[in-house]
Amino acid sequence: MSFLKGLCHPKRMKWGAVALLGLFGLLLLLPLMPIQAIADEAPAGAPAATEGATAVEKAKDVHWKIEGIVSGPPAPKLKYPDNYGTYGTFQSRTLIWVANQQHLYFGSFVLAVPMFVLVMELVGMLQKDKRMAKKYDDLAHEFMKISLTAYSITAILGGVLIFTFLALYPGFFMYLAGIFRPVMHIYALLFILESGILYVYYYGWDRMNESAYLKWCHLSLSVLLNTVGLILMFFANTWVAFMQSPSGVDEQGRFLGNIWMAIHTPLVIPIVVHRILGNAAFGGGVVAAYAAYRLLAAKSPEEKAHYDWMSYTAMFMGVLNLIPLPFAGYWLMREVYAYRQQMGITLMGGLLAWVFIMQATMIATLFVTLNYYLWTAMGRMPGAERYYKYFKYMLLVLIVSTLTWLTPHTLVMTPAELKAMGGAQHPVVGNYGVMSAKNTAINTIITTTVLCFCIYQRANKVPTVKWARIGNLALAAIFVGAELNILFLGIYGYYIPANVRIGLSVPQVCSTLSTLFIGVTLNTMMLKNARSLGEVRWGQMSVRGAYALFLLAVAFTWTMAVMGYIRSSVRLHWHVNEIMRDASPWAFTNPIGYAGNINSMNVLIFWTMLLFVFWLGSLTDKKVPAKVKEAAPEGIVGETIPVASH
Amino acid sequence: MMKQIVFLITLVIGFLAASQMAFAGGGATGFINAGTFALVIELGVALFVVFLAWIVKDKLKIGIPKLLQGVFIWIAAYIVFRVILQPPIPFTLLAVYMGIITIAIFLYCSIDPDSWEQFSEPIRAMLQDDTGKAKAYRYVTFTALPLLIGFGTYSKMVPKFEEPVELRTVHPAPPASINVHGEIIDLQRVLNPFRVDNEGKYLDVGKEVGDFKNNPFAEDASQYLKNVKEGGEIFFGTAGCMFCHGDNLDGKGMFAFAFNPIPANFADPGTIAQLQENFVFWRVTKGGPGVPRETFPWASAMPPWEKHLTKDEMWKVILFEYWHTEFFPRTFGS
Repeated sequence: MSFLKGLCHPKRMKWGAVALLGLFGLLLLLPLMPIQAIADEAPAGAPAATEGATAVEKAKDVHWKIEGIVSGPPAPKLKYPDNYGTYGTFQSRTLIWVANQQHLYFGSFVLAVPMFVLVMELVGMLQKDKRMAKKYDDLAHEFMKISLTAYSITAILGGVLIFTFLALYPGFFMYLAGIFRPVMHIYALLFILESGILYVYYYGWDRMNESAYLKWCHLSLSVLLNTVGLILMFFANTWVAFMQSPSGVDEQGRFLGNIWMAIHTPLVIPIVVHRILGNAAFGGGVVAAYAAYRLLAAKSPEEKAHYDWMSYTAMFMGVLNLIPLPFAGYWLMREVYAYRQQMGITLMGGLLAWVFIMQATMIATLFVTLNYYLWTAMGRMPGAERYYKYFKYMLLVLIVSTLTWLTPHTLVMTPAELKAMGGAQHPVVGNYGVMSAKNTAINTIITTTVLCFCIYQRANKVPTVKWARIGNLALAAIFVGAELNILFLGIYGYYIPANVRIGLSVPQVCSTLSTLFIGVTLNTMMLKNARSLGEVRWGQMSVRGAYALFLLAVAFTWTMAVMGYIRSSVRLHWHVNEIMRDASPWAFTNPIGYAGNINSMNVLIFWTMLLFVFWLGSLTDKKVPAKVKEAAPEGIVGETIPVASH
Repeated sequence: MMKQIVFLITLVIGFLAASQMAFAGGGATGFINAGTFALVIELGVALFVVFLAWIVKDKLKIGIPKLLQGVFIWIAAYIVFRVILQPPIPFTLLAVYMGIITIAIFLYCSIDPDSWEQFSEPIRAMLQDDTGKAKAYRYVTFTALPLLIGFGTYSKMVPKFEEPVELRTVHPAPPASINVHGEIIDLQRVLNPFRVDNEGKYLDVGKEVGDFKNNPFAEDASQYLKNVKEGGEIFFGTAGCMFCHGDNLDGKGMFAFAFNPIPANFADPGTIAQLQENFVFWRVTKGGPGVPRETFPWASAMPPWEKHLTKDEMWKVILFEYWHTEFFPRTFGS
């Protein structure tokens, strides 16, 4: 007891919090114990069975080629209509598609928001300025409030999804449940744990703000909440990964008794990493859109200032996750090619190549919109006028890169146009349809975005450090050098074989990341104690900037829809790739137009529900955000944020 | 001084562009390859536009309203993509490019508060002012808008007899396995049996680079090169691949232009260099008739070579194609 009291001492509080966090972490291992028990069960049972009258049948894992004991029936050969349900003339596949997508949207959102909340709360706790600490804490609290309503919708949609599976695809679902039965139960139990932590975390917010020790405990709860959330997502991803690249079963689909092998499929890790980053970027986008919505609806200058700042912060956190996302996607695609060549080709060069063009359009939209938001956001920063003249050149670079990025390798044309061109490839624009051009374009787009952010950072400041001139030169050298390297490697890529060219993407990415890590760090260092040209006029964001945030969030949503469709469609006519065939009449790949319409409908449904959530959030919000400064410079009413916060 | 240099460069490039257009008009092919020349023309036009803008803005001191600037940029871009860029790009690509340009113009006009003010002011004046000029613009705009929409609807709905566009998949996905001469071949794992070193061991992709410049006819040629030589004999002799794919493997054989599209150009980094060796094996064995449904409209005239060649011969031809073009087949780990 005295030990515990000792930990409550102000000097030892942090150690107490770490200890508590460790304890919570250990608790997390408890749900995983049954998995290990099941994994151990199979080998242990083998000798016993051998001793018995019946011989044990062994088979090889379909992917890993490891021998295991057959522990389940083969994948059923489904028949239509016996093993499928229908609702009138509706396409069952479209129904399950919509149900899945909606659940995924809300699931991603409620998983991503606690990640931001954790960071916000931590940043708030580390602030020396109490005013700023409260601001971050309030922001984190408000993020959580939005998530709470969405959480119950996620659970409802999860129920809808299960019922849709049972009603329309019972044969497939029974097979999947037969293999993942224990994991599904752990999933359900973890969901209860997640709910419990969430409610304690949210409703205990004010209470646990009362002492520093309790605050650290509160933060520990946030860590726990995120950990459980990540495990939940990991489990759900394993089912998807199993459908795409099964393992843990033999060629007939018979479970080989080791659940870990069914979880550890060839594509599971890159899928999980890609999805976590994607979710975080998406979550940031949605919260930024919420703040933009509140900004547009706000009546008082204080409210406008608060939501302007909130939208910027959320957007910033979303973008932090957006930047590594293309690289994670690249890794995933490489693993897909390594797993099955035909799957990779179907995705990138074959049947689904044009859906990838849609996705490329969305990625370009995301980055261009982001730059546009930053340009318009500088309209509320005194001194930014110095940089206005550069914006159009940055836009030019972005647009030229976008044109290159979106030039397809396979052109859609009439036979007459094909003949006029003299072949399938155009002699000029054909050069922009290959990987060298694409890598150069996307790296240039990201580098320009980083440059834009650096300009934003210094828009209302003048560096006063002694080495400002050298620093500026170094900064220019980093950006110019990086871009020259990107361009040079892009052009050089045309003169070398494909397998060597793939390797060039690494130094190109390194150049881009150098501008991000070294450039932004250098810029931040230069702005220490910088002379201010005036505080940011939070709340005076232009309406166009607020709408840009909406576009950003909708683009995130649409990108998720289209990528989800691609990932699902690449299985072609298989429920479980090469193991369990889809015998329903909907086992075909939809035309691009139909897929685009359903994706758009999904986005529309999601945003309609989300606007309802936003509206609910505004109903409960009677508390006016803390007004910090009554009269900002130049008579502008609103909050002023210190240099370090933006 | 700098301005004079820009002026001179613009003049030179403009001259080159004009001469190339004259060559094209006369049916000549130009003195450097079409792709490079088209790029030079694009750069020339871009520089010329910048130069013109500088003259107008800084020298003649003529301020062009933002709205009008947008219109000019749109028209200039259309001329570049529709007229100057040759051979003409398909309409679908033109639509994508012009869509992006339209968005870019809006972003340009609203990029900062001053630009937005300049851009939106005439529109606001047209909508709100009570002057006779504003009213006249209003009448014109609100008469033209429904007419334009009506014309668009009419153009969309009127029956047309044009060829439909084709979304042809150039590299369709291969099946997991194929049956060749009664043997099931796993396309995911199969390796070229003739990619071997002198000891008969599999030669990892990339290690053959030392033999790229060596003579396959030399007496001391490596086993790999001997196999390449046999592949070449099949390419030029037994199978006669060169009649379509060309003796430089560039897809311009003597029969090539009887087909639409012309045969694959192996020397282009976008064909065999992008593919695994077993993919090429599948395409050679099954030919045009063996491509899957997704490659509709099956625009490939290549025969299924399994009906004419042995498996070994087909593998050797593939080995030869990579050696001759000095490309490596794509690999994805072990």
